[in-house]
Amino acid sequence: MAINTKTMKKTSFNTLRRQKKAVNPNNSFEYPALQELTTPHIESFNTIWERAGSKVPPLIDLAVEDLGKRKVFDYRGNDGLGNHIEFWFEGVNLGKPAVSERDHVSSDHLVFPAECRERGITYRGKLTANFCWRVNGGPLNVETKNLGNIPVMVKSNRCNIQGMGPLELIKHKEECEEMGGYFIINGNEKIIRLLVAPKRNHVISIIRPSYKNRGPGFTQFATQIRCVQRDQTSKTLTLHYITTGQLMLRFTIRKQEYLVPIALLLKALTGATDREIFESLVQNKSDDTFVTDRVELLLRALKQYSVFSREQCLSYLGDKFRVVLGLPEDMSNVEVGSFLLSKFIMVHLDERRDKYNLLVYMIRKLYATVNGDCQVENPDSMQCQEAYMPGHIYLGIVKEKLDDYLNNIRAQVLMDVRRKPEVVDFTNKRYLQRVFQRVTVDVGRKMQYFLATGNLVSQTGMDLQQTTGFTVVAEKLNFLRYLSHFRCIHRGAFFAELKTTAVRKLLPESWGFMCPVHTPDGSPCGLLNHLTHVCRITSRIQDTTGLEEALWDLGVSPGSPTLATKSSSQLVTVQIDGRIVGFCTTEAAKDIADQLRVLKLDENSPYKIPKDLEIGYVPYSHGGQWPGLFLFSTPARFIRPVKHLSTQKEDILGPFEQVYMEIACLDEDIRPGETTHMEVHPTHMLSVVANLTPFCDFNQSPRNMYQCQMGKQTMGTPAQSLAYRCDNKLYRIQNGQTPVVRPALYDQYGVDGYPNGTNAVVAVISYTGYDMEDAMILNKSSHERGFGYGTIYKTHMYDLSEFRKHGDPITCHYGLDPNSQDHHDFIGTDGLPHVGTRLKDGDPILSYFDDIRCRYVLKRYSGEPAIVESVRLITAESGSPEQELQQVQITFRVPRSPVIGDKFSSRHGQKGVCSTKFPAIDMPFTESGIQPDVIINPHAFPSRMTIGMFVESIAGKAGALHGVAQDATPFQFSETHTAADYFGEQLRVAGFNYHGNEPMYSGITGTELYADIYIGVVYYQRLRHMVNDKYQVRTTGPVDPLTHQPIKGRKRGGGIRLGEMERDSLLAHGTAYLLQDRLMNCSDYSQAYACAGCGGLLTSIAVPSGNNVTYKGGSEMASDPSDPSSSQLLKESIGARITGQNALNNLDLTCGVCHSGDNVSLISVPQVFRYLATELTAMNIKLQLTVK
Amino acid sequence: MIAEVPTIAIDMVEFLDNTSVLPDEFIAHRLGMIPLTSHDVEKFKNTRDCSCDQYCSECSVEYTLHARCDGDTPISVTSRDLVSTDSSVVPVLESADDQGILITKLAKGQELNIHCIAKKGVSKEHAKWSPCAAVGFEYDPYNKLKHTDYWFEKDPKAEWPLSDNAKEEAEKKYQTLPDGSDAPFDYNAAPDRFYFRVETVGSMKPENVVIMATRLMQEKLSTLEICLEDDQNPNANQFSNDLGDSMEPW
Repeated sequence: MAINTKTMKKTSFNTLRRQKKAVNPNNSFEYPALQELTTPHIESFNTIWERAGSKVPPLIDLAVEDLGKRKVFDYRGNDGLGNHIEFWFEGVNLGKPAVSERDHVSSDHLVFPAECRERGITYRGKLTANFCWRVNGGPLNVETKNLGNIPVMVKSNRCNIQGMGPLELIKHKEECEEMGGYFIINGNEKIIRLLVAPKRNHVISIIRPSYKNRGPGFTQFATQIRCVQRDQTSKTLTLHYITTGQLMLRFTIRKQEYLVPIALLLKALTGATDREIFESLVQNKSDDTFVTDRVELLLRALKQYSVFSREQCLSYLGDKFRVVLGLPEDMSNVEVGSFLLSKFIMVHLDERRDKYNLLVYMIRKLYATVNGDCQVENPDSMQCQEAYMPGHIYLGIVKEKLDDYLNNIRAQVLMDVRRKPEVVDFTNKRYLQRVFQRVTVDVGRKMQYFLATGNLVSQTGMDLQQTTGFTVVAEKLNFLRYLSHFRCIHRGAFFAELKTTAVRKLLPESWGFMCPVHTPDGSPCGLLNHLTHVCRITSRIQDTTGLEEALWDLGVSPGSPTLATKSSSQLVTVQIDGRIVGFCTTEAAKDIADQLRVLKLDENSPYKIPKDLEIGYVPYSHGGQWPGLFLFSTPARFIRPVKHLSTQKEDILGPFEQVYMEIACLDEDIRPGETTHMEVHPTHMLSVVANLTPFCDFNQSPRNMYQCQMGKQTMGTPAQSLAYRCDNKLYRIQNGQTPVVRPALYDQYGVDGYPNGTNAVVAVISYTGYDMEDAMILNKSSHERGFGYGTIYKTHMYDLSEFRKHGDPITCHYGLDPNSQDHHDFIGTDGLPHVGTRLKDGDPILSYFDDIRCRYVLKRYSGEPAIVESVRLITAESGSPEQELQQVQITFRVPRSPVIGDKFSSRHGQKGVCSTKFPAIDMPFTESGIQPDVIINPHAFPSRMTIGMFVESIAGKAGALHGVAQDATPFQFSETHTAADYFGEQLRVAGFNYHGNEPMYSGITGTELYADIYIGVVYYQRLRHMVNDKYQVRTTGPVDPLTHQPIKGRKRGGGIRLGEMERDSLLAHGTAYLLQDRLMNCSDYSQAYACAGCGGLLTSIAVPSGNNVTYKGGSEMASDPSDPSSSQLLKESIGARITGQNALNNLDLTCGVCHSGDNVSLISVPQVFRYLATELTAMNIKLQLTVK
Repeated sequence: MIAEVPTIAIDMVEFLDNTSVLPDEFIAHRLGMIPLTSHDVEKFKNTRDCSCDQYCSECSVEYTLHARCDGDTPISVTSRDLVSTDSSVVPVLESADDQGILITKLAKGQELNIHCIAKKGVSKEHAKWSPCAAVGFEYDPYNKLKHTDYWFEKDPKAEWPLSDNAKEEAEKKYQTLPDGSDAPFDYNAAPDRFYFRVETVGSMKPENVVIMATRLMQEKLSTLEICLEDDQNPNANQFSNDLGDSMEPW
């Protein structure tokens, strides 16, 4: 690539600017790019409540309108149906989060997100709706209903911090560059994950062998369309090809699948005659016998239903679907049929003619697929994908809950009619009120459940392929991890279980939209992708009337081609958002697409074509993708900016059109006359996190993937508002630095606000043996000066009210026993810990008085040594401040200085474990006296090929020497302008070796090392995996009550299983004593009396030797005489009676089978073995030992 | 010079009040890293050798720091705010207008009230006692001894710039000029001239560090010498024999 040094972006630490901004924040965001990242989340939520487009009402209004009215009859009177009541919702509205009206104490009624986080409650607003009803078409009754408090997305238009700038955000205890886009549920930040959806309103053809199993005659061929109506709920239609020539349209009503012959629907939609249907299907290809034969069969098959007119068809459909749809009894079959067509068939279209046309198009495409004229689409390619947006899923659930309410009222009335018809009286307002009250409607609770668990409880399934895993916690482990939660997009839980790996494949179609690097390795690989940093998702509904006019003016013929249309060339359809507006020839389609693009880029064009319009021109190719001109303006599409070469303007592209466009990546890729577009920068194909890997173009690609993972596991700076955070666990590095070597995007996204590591002097040298196998040696002095020092903040909520039932009076009161002098070092007289107290395991942290037990109770700290960071006193959410304090939240600070075994990594997927901390005097040093902070082994490089780390090393060294920030944006260097020369020159000027090597002296002998050492400055991250959280060691400890073997689990002090293979290994080594120790002595060692005579393990009975000894409950005592503990008990009880005598002497062990104690001896056996013997005995199986 | 030249550094910190944003242990760490003038380090005893119970003026220096922010603008607490009990051991300042080393910043209403005890110590124990930031060392600027095999791509002379010590050698004519590469390699040559470049953190003057380090080295060597002599003459020292008896042979 021909980018010379001049074009290299200047990067700078901007220390002063950042300092000024930090000290004097104003209300403009320093990093607007950061705010862009969450827009798909926020905008999709906003469109629910505000205008979703220039002429479009809020989506919630559309959804409520789509719910329609419900009608119930009381079956009184002579005509059978009697009175009826109609009811429906209107004007659903969501208020801003506020305290309840009953609260008269709060001065400010608004609730802000920070409060919810600290309290551990949900950030929610009140959802209200006008519930309207009308009895017998009489006067309208309107009642405002409270639908509960539903969670509100932070920074959305229903959020109290929306529109605030840094200054105000800081005042409200938020991050200064708060991005929003999440919900706060019980104090946790939850995100509705983006999901991949099939592209809406676009017919795709499918070959799926499993379709053959659907029934007799079914084939693998189908065409499918996911129709999305304007309120963003969808219905999928699939058209199956049957061997008889019949075509069946499949759709779903309330999770039930229905198949309808397509000809029936075609007739029902427009009442087209057989001839019309024939002509529209065959169009101008009357010589194509494949199609004509099948159309004939199709029409002939319809005859069996004996329906000829449109009314007959509708009536037939209505009759069949009446029960399923649950419509009022007074609707005629024709009306029910029409209802079915409008609500389930091609729901994205309003006009029946349009639905008919698109069905015809679907049929034609299916025939072409069967015929081989049309290539099947790949549903895994981004060309056929869009996103399920958080707001749309949210709205879908709200809509469904409202629908459920209306249906439940209907069901309630019907039940009343059936059970006690006398009480049903629609004219009586009190009856109605009772019905409306009896049916509960707490949309808020249901939404909260959805967001808290991610589980979708739905009657319809919402046309989604999964029911769980919709939400994730936005962990603030570090900034990069937090940020990538908003950028990740999941393929769907269904695909995770799929055995084939085709869905995980990285396809070229996703160029520029999904990051090829940023995907986890392991099970979610390729399914959990991340959007590139410039990729956006549309969320507004665009006005396309101007677009339609433009199409007419550009020469598109309206309607659809018929048999009569004589044209020598191929005719293709022109579709806007899945509506066929007209047709043109393939040659014309190309011109129209080109001209449309020019018009789209022209701000002054009279047509007002939306800028993010996707102009998907699919050229004609023999047996390729079905040609046509497909225009998309809908929400939920992926878009990204590229440069339009002839106008030099920014063009917005979608993945559908991109495939057929000529976009150059670099200058030399431009082919004159062909190339129309060019990438703004090659880094646009990478996600935010992938972009932060310096010189990632030098690395082997998997290493960059590893870095994306490790970057997200780094102990970094999770938040700036740490004092107001109460996440369960927060990791924080104490001495974060800005990297010397950083890509330009590092500044753009303001990562400096959340540093993730430290610049370390790294020597690549094999020094002693402590750096073998990815271990790294840490300089002890560096460690003492604070290298990698981290802290964990743990927050725990203590609630005294959990000891009592809800509504009961308070029984526990915080306080320290005034009569005791103990624990004053830890706890104040209020019963709460002092801030700054050092705690170790077992120290008291809380004290309260329990009314029931009538004494003071201490709560003790368990876990590793920590310091009390803060104590929060929390009053109940709805309670008055007079209520006594019950909830306390304590944040502990756990210091975590780096120790041997802690994990570190550079930014190139080079992770290592600290193996030892070398004293500074033993570290090698250079001639200038520099000692490395970190030593890594040269063997870490040859197989991993992380050349980027070498480049970072010399760039960092040169940057440190000259005091400049080095730009590490990938794709700047080339064969003629190499990084090694660029930075080598800088080093040479500073008086260092050109290649970054330096002679070093052994810290132990003081002589020069034989080889010169590569030493430089590399940014090191400390990963969150620390030995302190992982080490597991035990000799003895808690055991399983049944087997007496050690229990599992680190938390409970259990052991690690020494399994069969480990046992084999020990056997092979002949380490019998070790084996004995592991499997017996440290496990379930026990002693038992065995009888050598009969070989019984359980037969020995302890019998007292003296006759003068009596004891009560003899049978009880002798319950398990073989158990040493119980025989011990026996001995003790006897011993207690016979004072002065040794209890053992008074016991005779007798074998119950042999009736003699001669052969009874004490042996060591594992406890499980005795358990086995007992179990076998219970099954009447005798276990016989051979005792020698 | 790095490990065993003693200096004085803050070793214990007692927090009376800390409402700043930084936690106690972090401030304590920062205080430890502040270089204190240690010219008179020799007049102090090591605490372990001192007769006192915990600390006394013979083995330690006490500091107090009390800062509180009452204004609207945050204030900086620096090493200048430390009040010492011993005027000879104070935080290092480069010049009169040096603002000192930043310890923490206090916003309105925050307070820091601490009491520190500085002790004598060596960097073997903790890096805060190190008088040196870096010690440069070289004994063969022209690589005459060929201890190191210089790696190069095209031209070792272009890729390996000579250090300042090479110029020194050239000026003082200690060595032949660098282009004497045709001279035969002397297998028996040993380094006889060592270049040190000492950079201190400010607690001591570099020359003092070097002098003290040399003296320490001499002391060590003489101790070694005495021990060796004692070893050769087993009857001379009863003490070492006693010790030998009680120890396990290895």
